Amino acid sequence: MTETAATAKHVPSSLARMTLLDKELVRPVTDRPPIRLLPWLNVVKIGGRSIMDRGREAILPLVDELRRALPEHRMLILTGAGIRARHIYSVGLDLGLPTGALAGLAAKEAGQNGHMLAALLANEGVSYIEHPTIANQLAIHLAASRAVVGSAFPPYHHHEFPPAVGRIPPHRADTGAFLIADEIGACRLTLVEDVDGLYTADPNNAAGAAPEFIPEISASDLAARGQATLPFDRTLLEVMAAAKHLDQIQIVNGLVPGNVLRALRGEHVGTILHSA
Amino acid sequence: MASEMAELEALLMERSLTDEELLRATDAAPDYRILPDATVIKIGGQSVIDRGRAAVYPLVDEILAARQDHQLLIGTGAGTRARHLYSIAADLGLPTGVLTELGGAVAGQNAAMLGHLMAKHGISMVEGAGLSAVPLYLSEVRAVIFGGMPPYQMWMRVPAEGLIPPYRTDAGCYLLAETFGCKAMIFVKDEDGLFTANPKTHPDAEFIPRVTVDEMKAMDLHDAVIEWPVLDLLKAARHVRSVQVINGLKPGNLTRALAGEHVGTIISAD
Repeated sequence: MTETAATAKHVPSSLARMTLLDKELVRPVTDRPPIRLLPWLNVVKIGGRSIMDRGREAILPLVDELRRALPEHRMLILTGAGIRARHIYSVGLDLGLPTGALAGLAAKEAGQNGHMLAALLANEGVSYIEHPTIANQLAIHLAASRAVVGSAFPPYHHHEFPPAVGRIPPHRADTGAFLIADEIGACRLTLVEDVDGLYTADPNNAAGAAPEFIPEISASDLAARGQATLPFDRTLLEVMAAAKHLDQIQIVNGLVPGNVLRALRGEHVGTILHSA
Repeated sequence: MASEMAELEALLMERSLTDEELLRATDAAPDYRILPDATVIKIGGQSVIDRGRAAVYPLVDEILAARQDHQLLIGTGAGTRARHLYSIAADLGLPTGVLTELGGAVAGQNAAMLGHLMAKHGISMVEGAGLSAVPLYLSEVRAVIFGGMPPYQMWMRVPAEGLIPPYRTDAGCYLLAETFGCKAMIFVKDEDGLFTANPKTHPDAEFIPRVTVDEMKAMDLHDAVIEWPVLDLLKAARHVRSVQVINGLKPGNLTRALAGEHVGTIISAD
């Protein structure tokens, strides 16, 4: 087939010469479960539109609660994007920009929310750090401080997937928070929003019958229900199905004082979403 | 269009981003191709670069000649050193995100080697192929080289089974082509294209010159010529709805594929 050129110079390994595409060949080499890199880490995602866009009234009590959590928990605090991301989607789409351009633009907004939150916690030793630092130097930063703040958006940018319908980047803040929390082997992920958790319909935009609260559900059951809207990215359900470590997350109402602290201690105060 | 955009703006301000009506409205927004004259070519790691001079030098000559007529975004695969890293790292139980960075570094090394070979012709390697100065390179020297791994780092989607990153350099190069609305995406490998089985291990496998994503999925190939998740990306794409896989060891194939000729396997969304 390929006599026209010399054969490849292989490094001997159990995966050498493979395409890596044949599951039957790859599985025996890579079927070991991954280790937890930071098993004590608490990942807390703060909603952009639900919390940060509300300003002082919502943010300051939450900052106070995060401050009180510092002696108990070592945290990666991640911020979502909000109304400004909606604005840049609107302008960007009007200009004809693709999903892969919108993703990086919206991620900037999540970062700005993180900068603000970190500034409010700076006197506790908390700083905003960028993605490469989270990926490679989270351990040293959390050895120096009890918590750091980052952008919850994953660094998909120009490599964002084209969504099945429409142009909104599918990997947003909730998905990004889950991906990093699961891969790094964190003990817990808490999504802090402005609703008590998950409902059978959007409680902020309900038409018809009163939405019912769902205290606990699995990602697959929720996906099967086909709800018209969800309080988090739909892609989150997809990535939860493949989770390696995190078997559940909790969605809590950050406008209710004490909720975040209670969730960090493992109490059930919102909706628990199971990965499997 | 103006009223549709006003409606979209209202939906974006009011509705959940999971709302079906909102998503459909974004679907109707106009499309703009960012680099419509550029073609992304992916040079295989194991299939091409690991073969050294015999495979790489003729391809470099072909690329240098082709850039007279084409703007080229040249992405590189990883290859055998990545397989060595993956086998050690997976055995240590390191997570997929760590493997992603390790593999990305190997693709980067391959890009750096191509960069050294093409440096005297003014062609640069860039770290990460985000926009930045890439349009300037394309307009001035008509080519630029980058490592093909996507920048997902610790945010890589994990595979359903095992630890190997599912979106590697095929996906990384393809997604740039799609995002930038490029003219074409060509995968340069060491086989004529897709076969009914891996031709390296099944010499009797039959060549498939043209296939759709659905057909390819229906064949349930275990070992295809392209990363499997690329098929779903292709299916959802707006701009680059087909790709061609060619044998870069055969002189002239890349030049012909760049000219739009069918010399390998064309995989299309529909």
